Amino acid sequence: MSKPKIGTIAAVSTPAGRSAISLIRISGPDTFKILKKLFITGGKKAFPLPYSVYFGSVIEPETGLVADKCLVTTFTAPRSYTGEDLAEVSTHGNPLVVSRVLQLLLKHGAVAAEAGEFTRRAFLNGKMDLLEVEAVSQLLSANTSSQARLALNQLDGLPSQFVAKIRGQILHHLVQLEASLNFPEDAIEAIDEHLLARELKKILAELEIFARNARSGALVADGLKIALLGRPNSGKSSLMNYMLGRDRAIVTEIAGTTRDTLEETLMVGEYPVRIIDTAGMRKPGDRIEAIGIERTTKAADEAFALIGVFDGSQPLTAEDRLVLERLRQSGKPVITVLNKSDMPRQVSPEDFAELPPLSVSALKGQGLLALQTSISKLIAESGLSGYEEMILLGAQQSVALDKALAALERAARGIGNIYQDMLAIDLEEAVRELGRVNGETVDVNTLDLIFERFCIGK
Amino acid sequence: MSQKKEYAVIVVGAGHAGCEAALAAARLGAETLLITMNISTVALMPCNPSIGGPGKGHLVREIGALGGEMPRCIDETCVQMKWLNTSKGPAVRSRRAQADKYLYRQRMLQTLFATPNLTLRQGHVTGLLVESGRIKGVKLETGLVFACEKLILTSGTYLNSRIILGRATWPGGPQNQSPAIGLSDSLSAAGVRLRRLQTATPPRILKSSVDINMMTELPGDIDAGGFLWENRLRRYEKQIPCYLTFTDERSVEAVRRNLSESPLVLENITDDGPKHCPSIDRKIIKFPDMVKHQVFVEPEGWDSQELYLQGLTTGMPPSAQQDIVGSVAGLENAVILRYGYAIEYDALAPGQIRKTMESRVIEGFYTAGQLNGTSGYEEAAGQGLIAGINAVLALKKQAPYWPSRTRSYLGVLVDDLSTWEKPEPYRITPGHAEFRLTLRDDSAERRLAADGFRIGLVDPERFSTIFAWSARIEGEIARLSTLSLLPSGEARERLARLATGDLKKPASGAELLQRPGVTYNDVMDLLQQPENTRLSAVDEVYALETEIKYRGYADREAEKIVQTSFLERIRLPLEISDHRLNLLSEQSRQILSSCRFDDLSQMVRKHCLTRSEIAILLSVLSEDGDSQERHEETR
Repeated sequence: MSKPKIGTIAAVSTPAGRSAISLIRISGPDTFKILKKLFITGGKKAFPLPYSVYFGSVIEPETGLVADKCLVTTFTAPRSYTGEDLAEVSTHGNPLVVSRVLQLLLKHGAVAAEAGEFTRRAFLNGKMDLLEVEAVSQLLSANTSSQARLALNQLDGLPSQFVAKIRGQILHHLVQLEASLNFPEDAIEAIDEHLLARELKKILAELEIFARNARSGALVADGLKIALLGRPNSGKSSLMNYMLGRDRAIVTEIAGTTRDTLEETLMVGEYPVRIIDTAGMRKPGDRIEAIGIERTTKAADEAFALIGVFDGSQPLTAEDRLVLERLRQSGKPVITVLNKSDMPRQVSPEDFAELPPLSVSALKGQGLLALQTSISKLIAESGLSGYEEMILLGAQQSVALDKALAALERAARGIGNIYQDMLAIDLEEAVRELGRVNGETVDVNTLDLIFERFCIGK
Repeated sequence: MSQKKEYAVIVVGAGHAGCEAALAAARLGAETLLITMNISTVALMPCNPSIGGPGKGHLVREIGALGGEMPRCIDETCVQMKWLNTSKGPAVRSRRAQADKYLYRQRMLQTLFATPNLTLRQGHVTGLLVESGRIKGVKLETGLVFACEKLILTSGTYLNSRIILGRATWPGGPQNQSPAIGLSDSLSAAGVRLRRLQTATPPRILKSSVDINMMTELPGDIDAGGFLWENRLRRYEKQIPCYLTFTDERSVEAVRRNLSESPLVLENITDDGPKHCPSIDRKIIKFPDMVKHQVFVEPEGWDSQELYLQGLTTGMPPSAQQDIVGSVAGLENAVILRYGYAIEYDALAPGQIRKTMESRVIEGFYTAGQLNGTSGYEEAAGQGLIAGINAVLALKKQAPYWPSRTRSYLGVLVDDLSTWEKPEPYRITPGHAEFRLTLRDDSAERRLAADGFRIGLVDPERFSTIFAWSARIEGEIARLSTLSLLPSGEARERLARLATGDLKKPASGAELLQRPGVTYNDVMDLLQQPENTRLSAVDEVYALETEIKYRGYADREAEKIVQTSFLERIRLPLEISDHRLNLLSEQSRQILSSCRFDDLSQMVRKHCLTRSEIAILLSVLSEDGDSQERHEETR
């Protein structure tokens, strides 16, 4: 059985990179115990008093070496962002300093906060409701203007209303079913399984659209991942630099999940796109390269779309053909690019068959507009929902939605093959999980509803 | 011989709760006195002549598995036995018996007389003797005093009861019995809080005055088997039917015409009554557009000339009752023998009983049945059994028996009752049991017989017979997972003949049985298992098939069951010393250290803790979880 642990968490709350100051937040029962070990105040004021600001030094207790001079602000439970004891440490903005202070905190009892954990604790302690939590956490992480727009959409409550409506429809059928199971002799109309199957399929279809919108929302909130694939030296990196070069201002560097894939974010039309440069694809020469190629494969699998990069100035090699084959079999939207169009072309378009290549010269700066247009077109044709339809769900809400969908699918598919008492279990799960999606209620009180709707009397 | 004045256990009231409580206590070796106001009406069924139904029938099966009496008594005295919900799935499938009310009483009375350690006495208890919060005995109307260590009060609907028939109202118990007067004051003086509840019963009519040709005959099922495990394959060849008729426009008009005389309109009765058996006047008021209400016409016994009109419950005056009954098809000339009536009585206000049925207010004092705010004979019997068991366990200074809601409807019943806050009386249904796929009718003995044996109500011989039976089923379930079918051409041909899907890779017997429409014997044929290696008894095959076909669904319950049982084992009140618990709200900490709940699972279910508070508690408690469990084992 999982036994959740309430630890003390710490994380850098300001964006990564160099800045004047950075903020590290600590929250949890041991916040002040840890700080007392690491923080020496300059003034005479006792540490820690609630809601106070202290100037002092963060030191390494073993050596007494000063890691940084900083400001510490204290908040005590329950009147803090998370509802727990909380402190904010403002350090100098040098990434090395920030990282050292954080490491000290982690070494002396704090654990690294997961994404959104401060906000989650705020929710757990009754500081916010679920939709607020999702909206806030998305606002905080939104790094393009349209992502912020999407986050704001969430607050108007329309998705909530939709989920409540669907939940109500399923609940209606569940109550009918439960009434007949619990009170078999009360002249409750027998369940017409054909009719119910049809109704459930209708509801399922609606919920699937909602889920698609949520998946689109998640994709966009995350940035649409587009992986560059190609053999080594086909010009992937130069293409990447070229694509980013036009509008450096909106480029932010994101630490990659794997150290060897490089990621950059840029805007294509109104969509945030994460271009992922991958290790060159070829038959691995050694073990390290094999790992790199494995990661490339993973990046390609996770990507929303793929751009195949080929050197137009050389005939296609066996490795190029391998890449082409991968692109064909990926099942994802694909664009092919013939780089080095400034040099004489040695490749025949026939080699690409159904994937006609765009000619680009990263060196001379030719063909970018066409490439951007292709990417825009590819996004538009990918089945992604429009902005006005997109829905942002948090991780827990997404899991709940998936569970609800699965339960509803089981029910719709199972009717006729499974007993009605099992069917009721599936419908109840769908209702319960949909309650979780909009944070409404997890309880499904069918008995009370039965008495409201049916004249029970046998 | 002078009369004995001291008993280990005294049970007051000999209805369905009292009989089970007294029998359990006496059978477990306690010197037991059962006091009833009227020996002639022991185990009376003052309302409907039936026992069982979804939820209720499950309880009766479980009472039998633990060693109680109700299933044995009804199996022997029923005039009809029926399976309900057969097509809707094993979890909600249940038996329902029509009783011969007179035979049932007689048989229960004989059992009481034949039980060693049990003394039956007629008397009217008017007071409790309580000293420093502990029960000491009871005082009778005659001035007699009996001392006891444990008292089980099962006053049913008799406590300070009042009959209501339209504007007429007088102190009285059900079926013209006397009310129990005086005891309520004594309870209040001891700090027990009371509330008023009401219920009602329909008129009884003369059998010969009914035209059954206007009604649908409802026969029983010959092969339904009995409630008691030993009777599971019993055939009931001789049964008598019930009949079904319906109200129509005439009936609605008759009710409306007389509505001014309804206690509901007169408001001369409390409104807090059972939601699931509303009076006909309430149905017409609440569902004004509904014209066709069911009326079940049920015999009260083999030779009884009386018929019970299920569906026409009312506390309206005699003239109105005649009017309403006469408006129903087939009942136009019905002669009413006993009028229906409403009854209002004292019951415990919520929040005063533990899962053991012991009072939270007076030590050694147990209550069971309608006094606890339930309705139904089966619910009463179940509580009586739990109260009787726990009174004796407490006498012997042994750990109490807290049936888990993850293991039985009895557990659901006592758990819900100890936390029930709604105004209406509680009735058990599968809807209350979140783990109902596990708590099936067919699995009652496999869930509870070992408890009954450990407690001492199931004797070794009975237990070993049940154990051998359940081992055969469990063994065969295990064997089915080890046998496998390879996708050979011949095997696939056999599959095709069964009209079930093809086989691509080897499949276990259990996997094959999970396919829709495939039976145990189909699987055994597919696996070419000789007849003599198979289970042959119908009930054993049924239990096995149900277990395996349900497995995927039951597995989804499993995680929640583990979690609930973990929380159930954390008994309250809790010693709060850990400073981390300061993270909990003031209110939560107060509840944790109070006697409001029996265990943590109740607090969680009643939303008295936020999610993060649960997380905090679990993390703190799991650190000393080992010591908690050791503590459990030594109890």
